[in-house]
Amino acid sequence: MKSDKPDGAKTGAGANANRRSALFLVRFVVLLVVFYAIVASHPVNDAVIVPFTSAIARVSAGILNLLGEKVTVEGTEIRSSRFAVAIENGCNGVETALLFGAAVLAFPAPWKRRLIGLLLGSVAIQLINLVRVVSLFLVGVHRPAMFGTSHTILWQSIVVLCGVLLFLVWAARETRAQQRVAVEESDRGASRPR
Amino acid sequence: MARPGRAEADTFPIRLDAGAALRVAVAFAAALAIWFAFSAPYEKTLAAAAELVIRVFESPDATSLAAIDGEIRVDRTDFPPDSARPGLPAADLHFNFALLAALFALPPHPLRPANFGRFWLAAALLWIVHVVALVFQVESVYATRLGPWSAEHYGAVARNVWAAGFHFYQILGRFAAPFVLWWGVGRPAWAPAVARKSRAT
Repeated sequence: MKSDKPDGAKTGAGANANRRSALFLVRFVVLLVVFYAIVASHPVNDAVIVPFTSAIARVSAGILNLLGEKVTVEGTEIRSSRFAVAIENGCNGVETALLFGAAVLAFPAPWKRRLIGLLLGSVAIQLINLVRVVSLFLVGVHRPAMFGTSHTILWQSIVVLCGVLLFLVWAARETRAQQRVAVEESDRGASRPR
Repeated sequence: MARPGRAEADTFPIRLDAGAALRVAVAFAAALAIWFAFSAPYEKTLAAAAELVIRVFESPDATSLAAIDGEIRVDRTDFPPDSARPGLPAADLHFNFALLAALFALPPHPLRPANFGRFWLAAALLWIVHVVALVFQVESVYATRLGPWSAEHYGAVARNVWAAGFHFYQILGRFAAPFVLWWGVGRPAWAPAVARKSRAT
């Protein structure tokens, strides 16, 4: 596409884009470290993460029972007569939600839309994580030899990849929304009587 | 002259459509196959590099690392000969290669030389991340898991730095690294540009 911007303007715009992109990365990494410091602390882990993980275990057990597996839950552990699995940190979707949250918060956007993105994204990540927990339990029951690889490599990567893609979808929509606002403001400015 | 709004709009041709999803899925599967095939030799390079780095900071050189059966076996010249050697699971360190490959498959033509070149640059940087993570893992073992020996050789600050550093990698770092590298090295022009904050809220 041909641009009628002078070369200097193009270079300036490119430098600005690079600076904003680098700033996004810096904010993202700083937020990750802050989030890590919060969730790794014992009080937060005991008061928030463990109860949340127990809730995931209960919901997953409910789904597994609907699917015909006769399971019981004890804390963060799901058991049946054939297999048992304990949901631990790293398997509760929290780490993916933190990555997603850090990216959304680091991205320049109005706060209201960031919060909506955070909420919807976190719900989506937890739904994907439920699929992960339920399917891993079923793999453990029916294909126990595949459990290790499915658990450590496959599903962890898939959930994180989904989190990243959700962020990219949100960021794309957000940027388009901002650009629409910019176009409307530009159009209003052009049509204003002098 | 182009209006500023229109020019900004032209900078954002991202399409996370079915084609992108398919490319990501195929790249992820292919990267996993490559990862399974080359994990063993890759772990040998990680062990050799991490051993080199650790030995820079210790005197006399005592640490030796060996990649054996999916583990990084840690040995020291001052370990008692009959004591067990710590074995660290290696796959956890570097399976994020598949994530990196999947992200680089997002553009419509991922195999174009420019994108492919950026991918290998990011992969090389990811290798450095893996080496650093392994150094932290070994040092965290030294600092926290060897009983009186740990207490004698590592202070409270060092224990926390090594252990928290590796824990951060386990919880968030290993998943964030591919995204950071993709965004920093490989994000092509069509990916979401970080737009200026809109004044309209």
